[in-house]
Amino acid sequence: MNTAFYLRRLHSLAGLVCLGAVLFEHIFTNSMALGGAKALDGALAMMELIPPLIFLALEIGAIGVPLLFHGIYGIYIALEANNNPGRFGYTRNWCFALQRWTAWFLVFFLIWHIGYLRIFEKGMNGTHISYDLLQSLFVGSPITACLYVLGMFAAIFHFCNGITTFCMTWGITKGPRSQKVVSVLSMLLCAGLCLVTLAFMSSYFLMV
Amino acid sequence: MSDNQKVRFIIERQDSPDSKPYTEEFDVDYRPGLNVVAALMEIQQNPVTVDGKKVAPVVWECNCLEKVCGACMMVINGKARQACCALIDELKQPIRLAPARTFPVVRDLMVDRSVMFESLKKIQGWVEIDGSFDSVDAPRQNPYTAQVAYEISHCMTCGCCLEACPNVGPQSDFIGPAPTVQAYLFNLHPIGKYDAPKRLEALMQKGGITSCGNSQNCVEVCPKSIKLTTYLAQLNRDVNKQALRNIFNV
Ligand code: HEM
Ligand code: SF4
Ligand code: SF4
Ligand code: FES
Repeated sequence: MNTAFYLRRLHSLAGLVCLGAVLFEHIFTNSMALGGAKALDGALAMMELIPPLIFLALEIGAIGVPLLFHGIYGIYIALEANNNPGRFGYTRNWCFALQRWTAWFLVFFLIWHIGYLRIFEKGMNGTHISYDLLQSLFVGSPITACLYVLGMFAAIFHFCNGITTFCMTWGITKGPRSQKVVSVLSMLLCAGLCLVTLAFMSSYFLMV
Repeated sequence: MSDNQKVRFIIERQDSPDSKPYTEEFDVDYRPGLNVVAALMEIQQNPVTVDGKKVAPVVWECNCLEKVCGACMMVINGKARQACCALIDELKQPIRLAPARTFPVVRDLMVDRSVMFESLKKIQGWVEIDGSFDSVDAPRQNPYTAQVAYEISHCMTCGCCLEACPNVGPQSDFIGPAPTVQAYLFNLHPIGKYDAPKRLEALMQKGGITSCGNSQNCVEVCPKSIKLTTYLAQLNRDVNKQALRNIFNV
């Protein structure tokens, strides 16, 4: 039945399409913090225009299930690798190892991030997520802010390097030249998204 | 170059498949053009360590001495490569030799690479014919792909690419780049291509092409300069098409 093949391709699609979309949504919405409390709260209110039942279905179907699948199967994949950039220090091999190291970091980061903000605060305490809440969270604890920045960097690198490997996995880029072009473009995207993240995260500290 | 210049070798040894590895150091007289196999032959003739201890000669494999048989693959200064074409002049000294531990160690630098043969059986690394053709009747190689077929046919199952691949090893069941890419060679063959769906099916199984994680170490280390990652990407296309054919039953 070629289960291995379909699982692996599904893992790849879940990562690029579902989780990639979530990542872009996160960066877009959170970058509203650059415009201050009004802008971010406005963006969050826009999301609440989606009917709650549909929103929950989206959260479970388009985020929860793909993330759990990609994460759990990803751990299995990561355990199959014996990372060796120390011996074979080629750029792509470093990216390969970083893809797995960022994955491990994301496992812990996402459990903490989703567990605390979505499940504990919003889900169980019914807290309204707002600019003020995030600002007090970050400014109150710079370590938390640092971990969030690292979590974002990890997710951004993992996603952008994932674009490069996705194109190889699906046979979209075949030769070294096209693979190089995609890898340079995706690393530029990586740098850009990291800068945006740094900007909106530091704005919480600059606008106290 | 002074006559009595020595080359120091630090060799990781192991007496039997299950015994503990240890290292021993040897000095070999330098001479122009010396390579690792030639140096190992010197050590074999006079197996005395730098401490003056006489030991059992170091065991390794070689045949062709010209990078075509694949037998002499070992880890030289951390990298998987062929010992017969590793020139001392181009290596950092002291030179460290170790067996390629992706494969079971038989003794010292000698490993058992038969797992690659088993993998070639899995992907049907042969062409199914009964009898032979007169040359006029034989199906012709496609002139447009003959160059690629020729290139891939250079593979000498040395195992450098498997030793370098982070996804090959006891922690995984990946058959590795060399046997995977051989499937493409036989799929290009005018008779072999009839079995292409079978080979692609084999590559879609657990341990097949989907276990590749695109680290591209294989293409960096292949001593025959086979464009492994290009053919892996081509095979990724081919298995996708095969999957669509399976799903839509065409
Ligand atoms: C929960 C923790 C996560 C783990 C354990 C994980 C694990 C992995 C692993 C091991 C790979 C390499 C797969 C391969 O080489 O075939 C991978 C690829 C990928 N991941 Fe993740 N990942 C996680 C979260 C994420 C997130 C949050 C995103 C999106 C932002 C993402 C997007 C991707 C993409 C696009 C790929 C490339 C797919 C491909 O090469 O075909 N992953 N992931
Ligand atoms: S590209 Fe694939 S086959 Fe080649 S070394 Fe990397 S993981 Fe192994
Ligand atoms: S593909 Fe290259 S490195 Fe791999 S076994 Fe064949 S010749 Fe050796
Ligand atoms: S002895 Fe044949 S490849 Fe080195």
